[in-house]
Amino acid sequence: MSQQEEWKDVVPIPQDDGKNPVCPIAYTDEYREMTDYFRAVMASGEVSQRALKLSGRVIDANAAHYTAWVYRKKLVLDLGVDISEELAWVAEISGRHIKNYQLWHHREALLELLLDPKQVALEPQDQRMRNPDIRRELQFIDRVIDQDSKNFHAWSHRQWVVRAYGLWDQEMAFVDTQINQDVRNNSAWNQRYFALTRNQAADAFVLTKEAADAEIAYVIDKIKLAPNNESPWSYILGLLLRHAPAMLYEDLLPSINALASDKNGALAVVSTPFYWSALVDIYEKQAEVLDAEQRDAVKGLAREACESLAEQYDPVRAKYWKYRKQELTAQ
Amino acid sequence: MAPQLAVDRHARYFRMCLSGLPQQMTSLDAARMTFVQLSLVGLAALGRLDEMVAAGERAQMVEWIYGQQVLGDGSADCAAYCGFRGGSLFGPHDLCDNVAANSGNVAATYSALCALLLLGDDLARVDGAAIVRALRLLQQESGCFAPHPGTTERDPRFVYCACAISAILGDWSGVDRDAAVAYIVSCSNPDGGMTQAPFHESHGGHVYCCVASLALMGRLDALPDRARTLRWALQRLGAGYQGRVNKPPDSCYAFWVGAAVEILGGHDLVDPSAVDAFLMQCETRFGGIAKWPDAHPDPLHAALGVVGFGFCHPDDLPRMSPTLLLPAALAERLPTANR
Repeated sequence: MSQQEEWKDVVPIPQDDGKNPVCPIAYTDEYREMTDYFRAVMASGEVSQRALKLSGRVIDANAAHYTAWVYRKKLVLDLGVDISEELAWVAEISGRHIKNYQLWHHREALLELLLDPKQVALEPQDQRMRNPDIRRELQFIDRVIDQDSKNFHAWSHRQWVVRAYGLWDQEMAFVDTQINQDVRNNSAWNQRYFALTRNQAADAFVLTKEAADAEIAYVIDKIKLAPNNESPWSYILGLLLRHAPAMLYEDLLPSINALASDKNGALAVVSTPFYWSALVDIYEKQAEVLDAEQRDAVKGLAREACESLAEQYDPVRAKYWKYRKQELTAQ
Repeated sequence: MAPQLAVDRHARYFRMCLSGLPQQMTSLDAARMTFVQLSLVGLAALGRLDEMVAAGERAQMVEWIYGQQVLGDGSADCAAYCGFRGGSLFGPHDLCDNVAANSGNVAATYSALCALLLLGDDLARVDGAAIVRALRLLQQESGCFAPHPGTTERDPRFVYCACAISAILGDWSGVDRDAAVAYIVSCSNPDGGMTQAPFHESHGGHVYCCVASLALMGRLDALPDRARTLRWALQRLGAGYQGRVNKPPDSCYAFWVGAAVEILGGHDLVDPSAVDAFLMQCETRFGGIAKWPDAHPDPLHAALGVVGFGFCHPDDLPRMSPTLLLPAALAERLPTANR
């Protein structure tokens, strides 16, 4: 850079690492030089195309450079950079920094500039889904999820896009596709709760009997495909515990029992820890509403399930299940 | 015989990290302070800090750390930038027309304070008032924290840093605790885990940040279903701890999840052999612990792996505080840290 006409007027600021640096990094000469110049342009707060370009190089070399992202956002605004071009730049470098938090936050900030959520919300949803900027964003997320189906940031960002632009109508279909591709993808199961509740706070969302029955049927179907899969079990237990606890024993329990006595699939289901631990949760909840005699019987069943888990189906958590069994005795 | 880590090899590894990191770790440049902290944590957790870092060198390290303190000029414009920065990559301290270029960061501030304590410093040169003032400016309406000004990033990692900083300084006036608790509660997933933001997927790292923050604030009672959160954490243990449901195990979760279990009172419910076996597979030939078997080590996985191993073997290694990532004896001497 020191040889380049473009940078002639800038006095680079070398890194001051003191006399005795701790954990010094063996920088390449290239990195050292670009950060020396970057410190200089940032210190003066220069607003220019060359500063924008340099910020891109620095971020690509070190995507966790938190003040570089702040500076870049300011440059984008002050220079009036075409937001679509900036989004394209983020997409271009994203493959190398897909687990970097700042990159995803930068993208969100850009989208908000490009498409004001408040304005978009006034349009009908099918029109929103045809908006080229929204389509491009969903395609970008699809590409990331195709490469890494459990990428935490991509799923979080997707929630942000769906919420910001009100794209609820299509979300459950997307979740279905993802669960069908990989029934063990817990990120997709989590998104199912998000899509079902449409982001409503726990105390505001009302789970209808009809919707809950449909979810139970869906989960049973997926458990049949892969019984030893924590995701559907934990999804349905969490959903009902939070929104319809009585349905745990009134509706889910009979469905699980039917599954466990099914000629074809019984063995696979009853040999998973998730089946037995679901029974513990369900019986424990049921015991709360029964009279003394029935309560003791149901607690006895829960204790037996704990015993099976400790002895046979979940040995790594034997201490835990023995503790749960003891708690069920003491109550 | 009880399983043992290769203590000597790992001690040499942490020592080597303090002396220098390879070029491949350039991507950690903005978080160097955290790697200083973790290298020292690793040595302390092995009981080798005094032996591997001589007194004279400690004083030099303390100087380097104080060199990263962003002091501001007392003006309102600068207030939110105060604290410690991630390393000397930023700056310079004096030349800045653009105050945002040389910004502190709550993660670096937390790491710096821990590192100073590990080195035996008395924090006398820390501008605690400026740090607490910055925290107040970084807390959001939701109760969550941003790591530094100018970003839309905010999640429980920074709530944790704010709580740890407040506990270490013994000054909670920078944190609206009721608001922070409310944010954490909003991050409870129905599966019992905790998340980065409402409706996100439960994640071991965020479970740690949420649970440890509540513990530091003395508000564990605010967890919507503490028994279920403990269950979620215990459920992560298979062939090693995983960070999310149906993900492969990763050595750092021996700390993130293991420490949450400790804080929630589940110590006696863990099967140490499952934790040990995985961590020992992640130990590398020349010292250090990798994320997965057959991978390269890094200071984060090495330090967190050692501390996680220590939770399972409290009689063999120095006891570490699960809430502050400091030796328990040091954490207990702090002014208001709860346990």
